[in-house]
Amino acid sequence: MSTETDQEHPCLPGGLIALEQWQAPETSIRKTLRTGVRDILDQLRASIHPEEQAFRSLDDLPLLTPDRLRQYAPPPDAAEVTRAILAQLETREALRGRSVSFLVVPPFSGLARSLADSGRRVITPPDNLLLSEQDARSWWQRQLSGDHWVIPELADFWLRHRSGLPLLKELFALLASDKAGTGLIGCSSWCWQFWANYLPELPVAPVTPAPLDGERLVRWLDHLARSQTGQSLTVRMTHDGLYVLPAPEQAGQIKYSSFAQDLASLARGNPGVALAIWRRALRARPEAESEGDDVKSEGDLEAVTSSGPGCWVAPLDQLSLPAVPQSVGRHSSHVLHALLLHEGLSEEQLALVTGLSHREVDLTLGRCQRAELVTVADTGTYFHVTPLGYPAVRKYLLSRGYPADGFGE
Amino acid sequence: MDESGLQQALESISSVAVAEAFALVVIASVLIVLIQKLASALAEKLSGKPRLYLLATVPLARLLIIVVTVILIVPILVEPSFENMVAIFGALALAIGFAFKDYINSLIAGLVTLYEMPYRPGDWIEVNGYYGEVRSIGIRAAEIVTLDDTVIVIPHGVLWNTLLANGNDGSHNLMCVAELFLEPNHDVAQMQALLRDVIYTSPLTRTYQPVVVAVTDTEEGMRYRLKGYPLEPRDQTRFISDLTARASEVCHEQGVKLLCRSRRE
Repeated sequence: MSTETDQEHPCLPGGLIALEQWQAPETSIRKTLRTGVRDILDQLRASIHPEEQAFRSLDDLPLLTPDRLRQYAPPPDAAEVTRAILAQLETREALRGRSVSFLVVPPFSGLARSLADSGRRVITPPDNLLLSEQDARSWWQRQLSGDHWVIPELADFWLRHRSGLPLLKELFALLASDKAGTGLIGCSSWCWQFWANYLPELPVAPVTPAPLDGERLVRWLDHLARSQTGQSLTVRMTHDGLYVLPAPEQAGQIKYSSFAQDLASLARGNPGVALAIWRRALRARPEAESEGDDVKSEGDLEAVTSSGPGCWVAPLDQLSLPAVPQSVGRHSSHVLHALLLHEGLSEEQLALVTGLSHREVDLTLGRCQRAELVTVADTGTYFHVTPLGYPAVRKYLLSRGYPADGFGE
Repeated sequence: MDESGLQQALESISSVAVAEAFALVVIASVLIVLIQKLASALAEKLSGKPRLYLLATVPLARLLIIVVTVILIVPILVEPSFENMVAIFGALALAIGFAFKDYINSLIAGLVTLYEMPYRPGDWIEVNGYYGEVRSIGIRAAEIVTLDDTVIVIPHGVLWNTLLANGNDGSHNLMCVAELFLEPNHDVAQMQALLRDVIYTSPLTRTYQPVVVAVTDTEEGMRYRLKGYPLEPRDQTRFISDLTARASEVCHEQGVKLLCRSRRE
């Protein structure tokens, strides 16, 4: 159902909601059971054939060229997203009378990082995160002296080490005593979950972007493509020709696939993960033997796209997304969890927070990179979990008892 | 008991019927062993709830096989009339009751464990000073594996008159305690805060479960108990070791001496 917020800010479908209102997109019982059985079978199969399971496509259809991909499925416009967030926050916080806004976002949404372009004074973390409580207090007093500051990602300000906690402890103490001025804090959902447990009486009421259900996801993907091409993108399934895009109200009486609902459910409403999978699923042509209503061959692409740009999308079960090898031990799971908790870490920081030796960290990172679960940032220093590997990593960590973010149930 | 009825019922048993019944017992036994081995092997490959569910199905599957086997064997051996049943089961109950009193006691207790579930496969229990993970629940006894990888066989019969401590009671939440004795005359509040950080920053801690640092003044020194939940019950040894090592580092940094057993006594 389209809301007023969706119309006003198509880049932020559903707008911002209170954290406790967040709910995962609904999925059918049949799909839940099928996913559960498949997970168990995958675990057993992986123990029989323990090879690394990086991404592989199960079809041989051509991918879109990089240029087309940038055109049809571009990353969100950071400036536009920032404007939408600020507009939403101003309305909410004016009503609540809070001086510091707190935005909790799931990984890969890109929302927190876009706050850096908000035009406010950006506070960046100190080079050394291992400060004493006294030094941390003085540091914050210097940083928060003026108004209208922004912390794009709070996870950059701490390390899960007994000497790496004071900076955030002091910040939360200042927030509690209302001595932090006026500002905006972005925080990864994993980092937030740790601190919400560590300090259960935190004096903040975080907001979070509404999860993308199938309908919102369609509108959002349509909006992204339109921002580049100026027209609605037409996307149909490679195997049966059913429509995924454009958004329903623009297309009249046409048959739609359940792809968008399935994608929203797989990504658990996370736009960054959904976009990454969407980009992997887009194809330049359909299956030759397709028996769709009017889609028979490659030549029909022109017919499909006659009203604007168009392409095809492979069914989700034709994509084999990166999986966590079952043979991995605690080292890999410690590293993956630490990377999510801190939104990326260097090798040295990983060794500090996991208690592993540098050699063990190095070996583990290499293995996770081969499995496409971890990637290294452009600077070559910081490692991150990949958006395509995130669903598998999250599920794996949960099954091993690790504390995950609250965006699960 | 009608002795002539029993005699009549037993006389009608042919050697072919005995062979068939024996074959059924063998098949049932092989099936039970196969299910136990297969379930244990598969459980090692799984984690989380699927592992517990799989292990929990083994005793039920075995009970089902036994019941089905008995239902199949009785009509093969004797005509399943009311008189025959009363005669045979009456005689068997009397004979077995005297000869295998303890065995039957454990068998019945085994049935009670299926209903009351005082322990399930995957639980960490302590019985008569033995602590370990329940590996399997048999008809007569349960097997636990201790932290030193020793298998202990516990007859279900001990349930009737023994206290049993179950650490996780069918869940994944097993509280562990790392204990330290420190020299007195230090800032206790600060030490408590530092040790709380130790628990929260251990990568093996379930941070969404309660974390507690309890302190008591004893004759042996200041006794700190670091309580937390490991990621998985199987991690308990590593978890307690990790907490102890990290806590020792903190004490060293703060200049507070740890008291070892010999110095405490």
